[in-house]
Amino acid sequence: MKQYDLITPEGTNDLLFEDCAIRNGIEQRIAGIFSSKGYCEIVTPGIEFFDVFNLRSRYFPQESMYKLVDGKGRLLVVRPDSTMPIARVAATRLREVPLPLRMFYRQNVYRNSPAMRGGSDEIKQMGIELIGSDSRRADLEVITTAIEVLASCDNEKFRFEIGDIGFFRELVSKLDTDDASKEEIRSLIEVKNYPALNDLLDSIGNNKITNALKQLPRLFGGVEVFEKAANLFADEKINKILSDLKAIYNDLSALGYDGKITVDLGIVNKMDYYTGVVMKGYLEGCGDEVLSGGRYNHLLAEFGYDVPATGFAVNIDAAAKLIKRSNTYKAPAADAVVFAENGYEMDGLKYAHKLISEGLTVENSVFGTLEETKKYAADRKIRKVICVSDKITEAEVNVNE
Amino acid sequence: MNNENRKLRIALTKGRLEKDTVALLEKIGYDCSAVRDKGRKLILPVGDTIEVVLAKAADVITYVEHGVCDMGVVGKDTIMEMSGKFFEIADLGFGRCKFALAGKKGEDFYQGYNVKTIATKYPNVSRSFFEKKGMDVEIVKIEGSVELAPLLDLADAIVDIVETGTTLRENGLEVYEDVAPVSARLIVNTVSLKIRQHEIEELIKKIENNIEK
Repeated sequence: MKQYDLITPEGTNDLLFEDCAIRNGIEQRIAGIFSSKGYCEIVTPGIEFFDVFNLRSRYFPQESMYKLVDGKGRLLVVRPDSTMPIARVAATRLREVPLPLRMFYRQNVYRNSPAMRGGSDEIKQMGIELIGSDSRRADLEVITTAIEVLASCDNEKFRFEIGDIGFFRELVSKLDTDDASKEEIRSLIEVKNYPALNDLLDSIGNNKITNALKQLPRLFGGVEVFEKAANLFADEKINKILSDLKAIYNDLSALGYDGKITVDLGIVNKMDYYTGVVMKGYLEGCGDEVLSGGRYNHLLAEFGYDVPATGFAVNIDAAAKLIKRSNTYKAPAADAVVFAENGYEMDGLKYAHKLISEGLTVENSVFGTLEETKKYAADRKIRKVICVSDKITEAEVNVNE
Repeated sequence: MNNENRKLRIALTKGRLEKDTVALLEKIGYDCSAVRDKGRKLILPVGDTIEVVLAKAADVITYVEHGVCDMGVVGKDTIMEMSGKFFEIADLGFGRCKFALAGKKGEDFYQGYNVKTIATKYPNVSRSFFEKKGMDVEIVKIEGSVELAPLLDLADAIVDIVETGTTLRENGLEVYEDVAPVSARLIVNTVSLKIRQHEIEELIKKIENNIEK
């Protein structure tokens, strides 16, 4: 039988030294941003009941989830998303807590991605959820936090995009066709498949709504998008969606990220539980979005707690990969290694401890001779070897950089 | 891998689609002499602002999906088989052919209740075609001439690309049913379209204006 004892499963990696240091740095920075705004950390279980992710609206296709069976034969999944477990917690243990709730998380999510396509099945995500407010203030808070997080990853090379899924939903609800066709229209807008979308809409009819839907995938860019959208179709609801979004866009423009903040009214992803304003963040050099989020006002109701909410998640691994690729970060070597002669082992450890308490990084030599210790120090680029016996002697190590 | 000031990178499917795309690019005013005279090089400049990467069809999708190429030209057949996350912006109009269900001439494929065996190079396309019909079929993946499978009685029918139908006819096979039309598509990485919006939109506009309907 073939043994798989020397490799990791597809879509997973070991993270070594620099990888961890870079990732920890990003996490700490982002956690700082979150907690400074009053968001409290929450950790949910790595495994959950399948039912949590198999709500009426089936946001996750079942083939994308890793499944297990518990001791009683119940179906479990390895957490594919953090928002739904947090919604579950809010709807149960936090139900009596006065709103709004501000929570943040940093945990892995697991998704079965197509084999051999270079995708990752284990993704470290951080994110926030602001539960219990449907106000413009809440939207602005979450969106500006998302921009701050993105800018903290790369101040120069990010793009941030907002949209409102309500624009599409309003248009398509006026269309006289069955749900299967509506879903097909949505998927064609999502992939910006202009030709197939045109053909499908032509077969449905030639009116203001079909013409507006045809233009939807092209409605992305700067402030000009709002005018284009308003010319396509106007009624009370759509005007309000557009004017609210434009107000947010204008407020964000005042942040001074010139040209980095754009609009896309064609964000209509399937797995979204989103109901209103949506956002996406990109970093130049990452082939896929690194941040996504939005308003989800009906999700908590599916857990029996009918309150509005908004939030976003950022892919920490993607941001870390980019930093690793763009500079030559190396985990720093220890400042010194302490070698103790036979019989002075405890004195050696004590002396190392003293140096550590002074703020140095100090290794304890496990070799039997000073010579071996010096060779080790040279290999590891540790600049100082300290020998402890009845006296303490220091030797500099010649480290070739 | 740094994108700054990088030329717009387009992955082309080697072979016929490459030739048709080069002709299209020349028509809209890009100098493609380096591609026409490429030798064994795989990355070639087109004009001053574009570079072209030559790849196998499935790899075009992979490169675009990962964003190492901003755009790609690839057949709808490969897109249907592989799927993936990218924008499928334009139907370029060339490389037209179709997916079809074919088998021995004169036989009724749908007759009887035994599970049919389908030989194909495109298992995903075949599976979703029969899934839509609610039909359970057994799929056998074949790498070379799929037409052999029904002739050797390995399969009841094949799902394959049909251009002229000559191979089918010469081997006593016929098309039972069309599965889907196929043509070359212009695909774009989802992040590139946003980050390099103006460059890409300009190019798309030029291409759209020159597509032969």
